[in-house]
Amino acid sequence: MHSSPFTLHFEQPVLEVRGLTKIFPGGTRALDDVSVSVPDGQFVVVIGLSGAGKSTFLRCINRLLEPTSGRVILDGEEVTAASLKRLRQIRRQIGMIFQQFNLIKRESVLINVLAGALGSAHLLHSLIGYWPKADVERAMANLERVGIAEKAFQRADTLSGGQQQRVAIARTLMQEPRLLLADEPVASLDPATSHSVMRYVEQINREDGITVICNLHFLSLARRYADRVLAFRAGQLVADLPPEAIDGAKFREIYGEDAVEVEVA
Amino acid sequence: MARVEARPLARPPMHSFPSSQARRVRLAIVLAALVVAHVVGWQMAKINIPALIVGLPNMRHIVLGLLQPDAFEPIRDVTKVESELTILPAGSPVPAESGRRTVGTPGGPQATVQPAQVRPGQPVYVQGSGWPAGKKGEVLLAASYGGRPRSAGAFTVAPDGTINHAFYAPASEGAFDLVVQVVTPRFGWRPTETLLLSLRLMVETLFLALMGTSLAIVFTLPLSFLGARNLMGKTRVGRAIYYVTRTVFNLLRSIEVVIIVTIMAVVVGIGSFAGVLAIVVHSIGALGKLYSEAIESIDPGPIEAISATGAHPLQVIRYAVVPQVIPEFLSFTLYRMDINVRMSTIVGLVGGGGIGFILTQYINLLQWNQAGTAIWLIAIAVTAIDYLSAWLREKIV
Repeated sequence: MHSSPFTLHFEQPVLEVRGLTKIFPGGTRALDDVSVSVPDGQFVVVIGLSGAGKSTFLRCINRLLEPTSGRVILDGEEVTAASLKRLRQIRRQIGMIFQQFNLIKRESVLINVLAGALGSAHLLHSLIGYWPKADVERAMANLERVGIAEKAFQRADTLSGGQQQRVAIARTLMQEPRLLLADEPVASLDPATSHSVMRYVEQINREDGITVICNLHFLSLARRYADRVLAFRAGQLVADLPPEAIDGAKFREIYGEDAVEVEVA
Repeated sequence: MARVEARPLARPPMHSFPSSQARRVRLAIVLAALVVAHVVGWQMAKINIPALIVGLPNMRHIVLGLLQPDAFEPIRDVTKVESELTILPAGSPVPAESGRRTVGTPGGPQATVQPAQVRPGQPVYVQGSGWPAGKKGEVLLAASYGGRPRSAGAFTVAPDGTINHAFYAPASEGAFDLVVQVVTPRFGWRPTETLLLSLRLMVETLFLALMGTSLAIVFTLPLSFLGARNLMGKTRVGRAIYYVTRTVFNLLRSIEVVIIVTIMAVVVGIGSFAGVLAIVVHSIGALGKLYSEAIESIDPGPIEAISATGAHPLQVIRYAVVPQVIPEFLSFTLYRMDINVRMSTIVGLVGGGGIGFILTQYINLLQWNQAGTAIWLIAIAVTAIDYLSAWLREKIV
């Protein structure tokens, strides 16, 4: 079994979040004083209602959204204090996948995967679309890992949703990240495809030791894949517990009294 | 008291549900205002229907010109020699060497005019040899300073190739070019000078539009990114650049091409370059707005995804923005090219070169057939480009 959140860790955590708060211009407090420490290699699932702050939490970690206050520390370095130039270097360590896959639709699958290496690519070369052979080989290997190497030269928007998410996973693999942020990666997919995609995420967590923080809607998926579950409600971290500890009472605490759990096959 | 309070609830407020009478009154006021505006406008615009009816026949030149454009002429063999004839003032003494003048090539067509100086009404003899036997010919007189040639009689060439013609000198003194010519029609048609010139200028006009559009793109492409709110709106400096860029686009777009041409003609002189510059300036404004709006309407997802990989902002634009806007950019550019072809026919009217320039000249010289040729060419070219651009846009998008 993988490391539980309650065992002691002697090494420093991969990710340290301290008092993270995000207030949107309208005054909405999307994140309210969130503190959490994520040890290396953990598979963290974040649950909560829509609007509870799950997406904001992930986007504040790699500063796609600027947190209003608080600190994010990746491998001992304060992300929230980094200059824009340094931030780009830090972002190379943090992969991200999205609910809508966010591929470049009109480009080939291969180019989409190569885009994951932009952070380390030669600026001018990448602007004219030149990619070193080594990068292309690595991209093909990563496509191989997610099982769609034969689609490399198709346009990304000709692929099914599940295949597109696998391309997105291959894209983050190009970064060889320390941390993978997955924002509702299977919310647009059918249950069977959801599991197939989640298994790839699980695989890179287990095999590559990439720490995963994954937002999920379905508790059944959280129970199946998580080492640790964080529950958000109205921007606050209301529960931090192992997946098996989520019972009916906890569930209602997180999702409200009227909520009924829906199973994903 | 309760009744008074209940009343506003019972009757809906006036402004959202006016009674039918209030509505009728308001409609009447609006209609009355419109009638007044049109009565005043009729006078301000000096609308004069009788003038239209009376003046309509004046259009017949233009209509005839359009119906008979100066485009093709039958191919003819013209054999001719040119000589001169001086018609002296009536009553003046005939100089001693009023004698004869022979022109042409020995063996080929040759003509001798005798005398070379005459008084009005005196006979002039035209004799010659080496002309195509049996063909009909004509002697033409045209004032040397330029003018319409007038016929001085027809003749038939004798079987041995000689001609023998006489006419009386007309009563208009001065120096005349005398042309002896035999015209033999052949089967077939050829384009006229007018058509060739107009064609050349139409091609020049198309290139003028092309250069105007392409140069505008060179400036607009980078500028349009500065005018896109979703890219620039994140920082204060960015927002300032966004507003400045959009304002410049709007200013450039609001000035009509015809006005810019007159300004540019002062700067670089009358000609095609002034026209190109005017189209560039106006197109930057128009295309800039369209491009920027295309950028603003893209899916922000890929921008997030590419930014999250640690990519440089230029890489984000290259990989997340450019692929999304290419189809729209192409479509807008073709649309603009189509407009610019129409614009470039106009710029010539005010000194911007191209076919519009020659069209104004034809109209000013009342050369309606020639004007008809130019107008037809414009209509054909603009229609063709219109269809081509529509077809291409359909293909791309």
